[in-house]
Amino acid sequence: MLSGIRHYTSVTLAYLKLSILTVFEYPANMIGWLISNPLQFIVGFATIQFVVKEFGDIAGWNYGQLAFLYGLAIISHALSMIFFVQGWFMGYSVIEGDFDRYLLRPMSVLYQFCFTQFNLIGITDLIPGLCVFIYGCIQVGFVFNLRNILALVAILVGATFIRGGVYIAIGSSSFWSKSIVDFGGYTQELFDKTTMYPLSMYPESVQFILTFIIPIGWVSFYPAAELMGISTDAFMPGAAPLISLGAGALVFAVASVVFYAGLKKYESAGN
Amino acid sequence: MAVIEVKNLTKDYKVNKKGKGLGGAIKNLFVREKTIVHAVKDLSFTIEKGEIVAFIGPNGAGKSTTVKMMSGILNPTSGQVLVNGKDVAKKRKEVVMDLGVVFGQRTQLNWDLRLGESFELMKRIYQIPDERYKENLKVMDDILGINEIIDIPVRQLSLGQRMRGDLVAAMLHSPSVLFLDEPTIGLDVDGKYAIRKFIKEINRVKGTTVILTTHDLGDIQELCERLIIINNGELMEDGPLQEVTERIAPFKTLVVEFYDGEAGVHPKAELFYHEGNIAKYRFRKADITAAQLIEEISSAKEIKDVSIEEASIDDIIRIAYHGSNEKI
Repeated sequence: MLSGIRHYTSVTLAYLKLSILTVFEYPANMIGWLISNPLQFIVGFATIQFVVKEFGDIAGWNYGQLAFLYGLAIISHALSMIFFVQGWFMGYSVIEGDFDRYLLRPMSVLYQFCFTQFNLIGITDLIPGLCVFIYGCIQVGFVFNLRNILALVAILVGATFIRGGVYIAIGSSSFWSKSIVDFGGYTQELFDKTTMYPLSMYPESVQFILTFIIPIGWVSFYPAAELMGISTDAFMPGAAPLISLGAGALVFAVASVVFYAGLKKYESAGN
Repeated sequence: MAVIEVKNLTKDYKVNKKGKGLGGAIKNLFVREKTIVHAVKDLSFTIEKGEIVAFIGPNGAGKSTTVKMMSGILNPTSGQVLVNGKDVAKKRKEVVMDLGVVFGQRTQLNWDLRLGESFELMKRIYQIPDERYKENLKVMDDILGINEIIDIPVRQLSLGQRMRGDLVAAMLHSPSVLFLDEPTIGLDVDGKYAIRKFIKEINRVKGTTVILTTHDLGDIQELCERLIIINNGELMEDGPLQEVTERIAPFKTLVVEFYDGEAGVHPKAELFYHEGNIAKYRFRKADITAAQLIEEISSAKEIKDVSIEEASIDDIIRIAYHGSNEKI
């Protein structure tokens, strides 16, 4: 067990090093993303600002609270982009036979699929996320004490795994369909619409699905509400960060079952 | 000791039959007619430690599918492959620790970075101890001169250099079995020479068992003591090169130069080529000896020059692919 952890840590660090070296090999690439990616979210946030100015609030959430929620959502989006963006492009990996190499190496295939390439471009999403989040924290008077910091870490880890799990579970459909479908667009749309705005603005049936079936509500809405003391329909006050973490583990576990079931259908690629 | 045991290995693919046009497409949504394609049928053979074995067969014969099942990439439909006594499909991680695999048309090297970075990664993935890593790199440098190119980004390497890099990457963890899928494809003469020398050397020095698929006759002639011919997913021939030749191409060719454009004939030899003063006869070794044939032809018509050719690997492969009934 311990030697296993040491092995995976050592390989992860090597992959990280290679990813960093690759970024330095093509610096212009990073600069392009550094300009375009933050812009996308700043414009998104400006839209919220406009809506709030016109209508006062969204589902009872004021401007500062919305900034807090929006910022938190983008930060976990950025983290999921760094670690799990491959899920969006799994169709390409299936068709082009990328899994051949993973299957030939003495490590977990899912681990290799996720971590062989860290997408450091995802860092460019972190910047707008942090800006909007810190702005929101100031607006709502959020205190960075130990308890709150631990809660934030738990939320972000859970949220990243919920997102990553959904990417991988959806991407795994490529093992059956054997076709190239780029899931990025749909998936991002789904998460943007459900994590950047208060879930309570949606009909109850949608809320139910996003709370219990596909627990996207735990990415940002419930934990943000709890950290700011806004009451929701969610039960057990104080538990939201832990539920986020648990939901992350659960979603990822389900995704991994789907992934390995799909991998059995894998047929490699012809020459 | 058997390094690899292949037992009744079978791989079927299900292919959806497609109907014609829009009507067919809609029908397909509801009724899926599946055809089963047998890519590999009931294959059994054993490979001993230290052998160099060539897998040959036409494109689509099932070579790659077989190699992929032997290395754990594909799961067999039925049957099993044991590598060093372990079932590949059940103990993937353990088995691959002892395998090196190189695909001629794909690289496992990191395209963007210097070659050495990929080697360092292998060291960690396979948990190779420092000393063994250095020692192996030194051996590889002696055979392939890898240190000359270790600091060059992989994208700037020539195909031959990249292949050398791929071979080293596959051998750093000292696997006892090396799979090579068309290792010399697209290489120039020097490149092929280097790869073949490498294969012979690691086989000699480390006793590595090598299994390669190839369309290159030179590879087979220079490397392989044993030939496995696969066609339509079935084992056609299995044995030493010499033996396979004797069995499926037991003939020689006699090339005769006459003084004029008229060629002699002989009942036990087939005149299959005649142009100008040159005539070529094919004869079975069992029917007549070369000496006898020359003597009898020359007694009827004066001969200027003769030479004798053995059946080439080209001939053997052609016969194996198309069946022995076909005119050669």
